[in-house]
Amino acid sequence: MKEPLRQTPVKIRQGPVGKVLREAVLVAVAGVVFALFANQISPRGLTLTRNYFPDGIDKAILPVTATGTNTTALSPESAPGGSGKQEAWQSIDGHQAVQLFHNSHLKQGAIVFVDARDEEHYIAGHVPGAYEFDPYHPEKYFPTVLPACRAAEQIVVYCNGGDCEDSKSAALLLREVGIANRKLFLYEDGITGWTSNHQPVETGARNSGNLSITIQ
Amino acid sequence: MTDDYPIRRVAFVNLFTVLIRWLLGAIFLYLGLTKALHPVEFLKLLRQYDLTRDALLLNFLAAGLPWFEIFCGVLLWAGVAVRGTAVALSLMLLTFSLLVLHRALQLHAALHIPFCAVKFDCGCGTGEEFICHKLAVNFLLTALSAWLVSGRGKQFCVRYSLVRGSKLPRTPDLR
Repeated sequence: MKEPLRQTPVKIRQGPVGKVLREAVLVAVAGVVFALFANQISPRGLTLTRNYFPDGIDKAILPVTATGTNTTALSPESAPGGSGKQEAWQSIDGHQAVQLFHNSHLKQGAIVFVDARDEEHYIAGHVPGAYEFDPYHPEKYFPTVLPACRAAEQIVVYCNGGDCEDSKSAALLLREVGIANRKLFLYEDGITGWTSNHQPVETGARNSGNLSITIQ
Repeated sequence: MTDDYPIRRVAFVNLFTVLIRWLLGAIFLYLGLTKALHPVEFLKLLRQYDLTRDALLLNFLAAGLPWFEIFCGVLLWAGVAVRGTAVALSLMLLTFSLLVLHRALQLHAALHIPFCAVKFDCGCGTGEEFICHKLAVNFLLTALSAWLVSGRGKQFCVRYSLVRGSKLPRTPDLR
């Protein structure tokens, strides 16, 4: 008669390399779980499902020609394909940005400046009266920025200048929520160009009145 | 030479290894925190490598890597799963050194400047750096991580090894 099969533990010897690799896998798995959890609870964490760099950022940029300083300092219609139907961004240079800043319509809200940098940089110095709009945390700024943008005729969006893409991201978000493309202008020289033109910057909150010539 | 020379030598090597472990732990903790506090900046820097067009994967890397570094830094500091952590860090360092090298070669070709004059922010948490310096530092960190795998310096560890030997599921006894 056959003896019934018995279950006994079988020890498999694992070499030191195998043990270390197994431990590395354990660390990697635990590390990934920890990382995702930490990102989730961190107030600065990224939203995993969001596309932070939508395709529109890479669209062409068209320069806008100045047409005077009477009622509207810049005419988007005068830009090639500036009918509002085209997808390309409209850009303005430092001179045009300064012109808009000193336009009487700025105070009436027909012209608004939108700062697309993060809070830290905004507080350190922004175009006086510019709205803060970090495109990576839009939900935080939409309630303030959207009504102003809807009421405005011309919206100048800027970031640091140079190769920074945050102004395009911000403009794209504004366009997605219904702000007409013809109203949006990218100031590509950004705050760096602004300060090099010896224009004033405001530190702290919007309309704080703390003006200076250099960024803190 | 005295009789206790080998013992003193072993003690010295162990102490040296413990110091390396703490140093690496502190470095990774610092580098991880710098990135975790500014995840958007890290995301932008990571994007320059053109690793993927998939937003979810890119976000996953940008969100996860800094905290993974912090996790490994804490493990090294506390002395938990030291060799496994060191292997994970070595592999990560090696991978990112290759990516940084690839990016530097692209810039070198595009800008027509000497290779060691290439300077950019690789997203490593240390800002803009000359490529040769960056690669040398990464090589040193990889070598130090690999040293920790050697199994020396088990002092001051909460739990040096997590894997003590493995038992597989029960199999039939055919006696």
